[in-house]
Amino acid sequence: MGYGMKRYFGLLGIYARMDLASLTRDGKFMAVVMAADIISNLSSISGIFLLAWKLGGIGGMDRFEVLFMLAYGNIVMGFLNMMGGCNALFPSRIIGRGQWEHMFIMPLPYIVQLTVGIFPFTGSGGFLSGIGMLWVAVCHMETVLPWWWPGALVLQLLISMVVVVAFSYLFSSLAFYAPVQCEEISGTVVYSLEHTRTFPLSGMPVYIRYPLLTIFPAGLMAWLPTRILLGKAATWETFYPAVSALLVSLAAAYFFRKGFRYYVKKGINRYVPGGHRS
Amino acid sequence: MFRAATVPDPMAGEGCPVVSLETVSKSFTRWQRKEGASGKGEKRGIFGQEKKTVAALDHVSFRIGQGEFVAYAGPNGAGKSTTMKLLAGMLQPTDGKLSVLGMSPEKDRIALMKKLGVLFGNRTELWWDHPVIQSFEWKKVVWDIPDAVYRRNLEMVTELLDMGEIRNVFARELSLGQRMRADLAMMLLHSPELILLDEPTLGLDVVAKRQMIEFLKKINQEEGVTIMVTSHDMDDLEEMARRILMISGGKLAFDGSFDGLREITGNLTRLRVTTDGRKPALEGCRLISEGHGIFEFEADLSRLSIQGLLEGLSRAAGIRNVEIGKAPIEQVIAQLYQAWDRAGSPGSLPG
Repeated sequence: MGYGMKRYFGLLGIYARMDLASLTRDGKFMAVVMAADIISNLSSISGIFLLAWKLGGIGGMDRFEVLFMLAYGNIVMGFLNMMGGCNALFPSRIIGRGQWEHMFIMPLPYIVQLTVGIFPFTGSGGFLSGIGMLWVAVCHMETVLPWWWPGALVLQLLISMVVVVAFSYLFSSLAFYAPVQCEEISGTVVYSLEHTRTFPLSGMPVYIRYPLLTIFPAGLMAWLPTRILLGKAATWETFYPAVSALLVSLAAAYFFRKGFRYYVKKGINRYVPGGHRS
Repeated sequence: MFRAATVPDPMAGEGCPVVSLETVSKSFTRWQRKEGASGKGEKRGIFGQEKKTVAALDHVSFRIGQGEFVAYAGPNGAGKSTTMKLLAGMLQPTDGKLSVLGMSPEKDRIALMKKLGVLFGNRTELWWDHPVIQSFEWKKVVWDIPDAVYRRNLEMVTELLDMGEIRNVFARELSLGQRMRADLAMMLLHSPELILLDEPTLGLDVVAKRQMIEFLKKINQEEGVTIMVTSHDMDDLEEMARRILMISGGKLAFDGSFDGLREITGNLTRLRVTTDGRKPALEGCRLISEGHGIFEFEADLSRLSIQGLLEGLSRAAGIRNVEIGKAPIEQVIAQLYQAWDRAGSPGSLPG
């Protein structure tokens, strides 16, 4: 166990070192990357937040509760982007580009290969800005938070991340059967969830809210967890994200394995150079 | 399938073969549109596609022993890359058994990859946006290579592959030849016992190709590394390998030495005759080219005796020089492929 953990952290370390080397190879490059990260993260939430500011809140959530929700979503996606270097968050790209063949010849389990490719320096902008925004939001909220609240926050964040990853892998399973057509399907799924997550669903009609909590669960990426963490959710709603994450994960694991078995039997005649690990 | 006596049986020595295929088959299904120019035919073409099963490998069996350098050749679509992918665990066979270094590529993938080196000529394992040395350090961690082994191998590849100048260059800035050298160097850092090379000389210039061939021969002879290589360039293969496995239409068509391959295609020999300008008439020989008093003939020494050939030469007038050599292996192979095409199966070979 000790050796396994040491080796795992050793692998994380080499990817982190390479990411740092990549960022610091050139001062101008570093400045551009950091500026672009800050601008894109601020612009991703500015529309909804300015609207909430102007209206004094949206859908039963006040300004800082809306900011909390936006920050929560940024942390979810920021963390996944930071950990999901080497296209781990977008497996359909790996499959569709024929680049799983690079993974076959590495002496590591696939799950390890997919989880150690971190970009903590070039990919942490969203995560760090999310933490900053969350801090501001919590400091301005009137709610008194209990001692166990940080633990609940981490748990909800993990559940939201599991939902996103599971959805990406579920749809990426299609790329095993149609690699060219489905190469970008994980990007479409993840980016669609990311763009929709910023809308507060309170007050929306059920025919909009329920689909966004079930078949296209953008509501589980920020809105419902925020209601749960702020004590505004019904009891059944509190457990819903965890149950949903479990079900989607099981479905993703089943279909991804099935697709993978098909892939190693049929092979793939496609290989796109240059995209590997990018 | 032919097997030449000049190549030792890989099973004659002790221990397991490094590579073993027992009646391995691999088939793929392919959808193809039915032909139809218009009307109903066209509709059938769109809605009624045909599913066709293609046998990429058909009951292929062979074994490769420790320290062998084996060429794996065949025409386009013969099943070379499929075999390489099966051995590297990238595909699973439809039928049959295969083992690499005594392990199953499917079940023992992680343990096998620590001992196997794989290099496909059209792809790189280097990190594109990092200096070459960074990719080497990444490999050290991922393959868990002990410090002493890494240092020793790094020194060796740096010296033998002339890596000094390119170690600190970004991979994306390397020329194709430099990139292949760097890829080859990286592949060797974990001291693989078996190396699978798919078209490693593809696109390389003469100098880069020579450097690669010399290096591969050296590590095979001095380090005892078993090497299996595919290439379209038969001259390269002949220079590198002692044994050739030829595959055609998914079937193993020949297993033996390059000389053995020449023999089954009729022991083709080339004669280069220089005269004072007069054209020599050599019975049983086919004139291939002529110009400036130099005449090139092709003779099949399985049909024409040496004595007969020498007699013919002695009778010819105005001869100034005669050079006799083996026919280029490219020509032998081309003749073989044409024979297979005519026969419709690799089982029927000329000679």
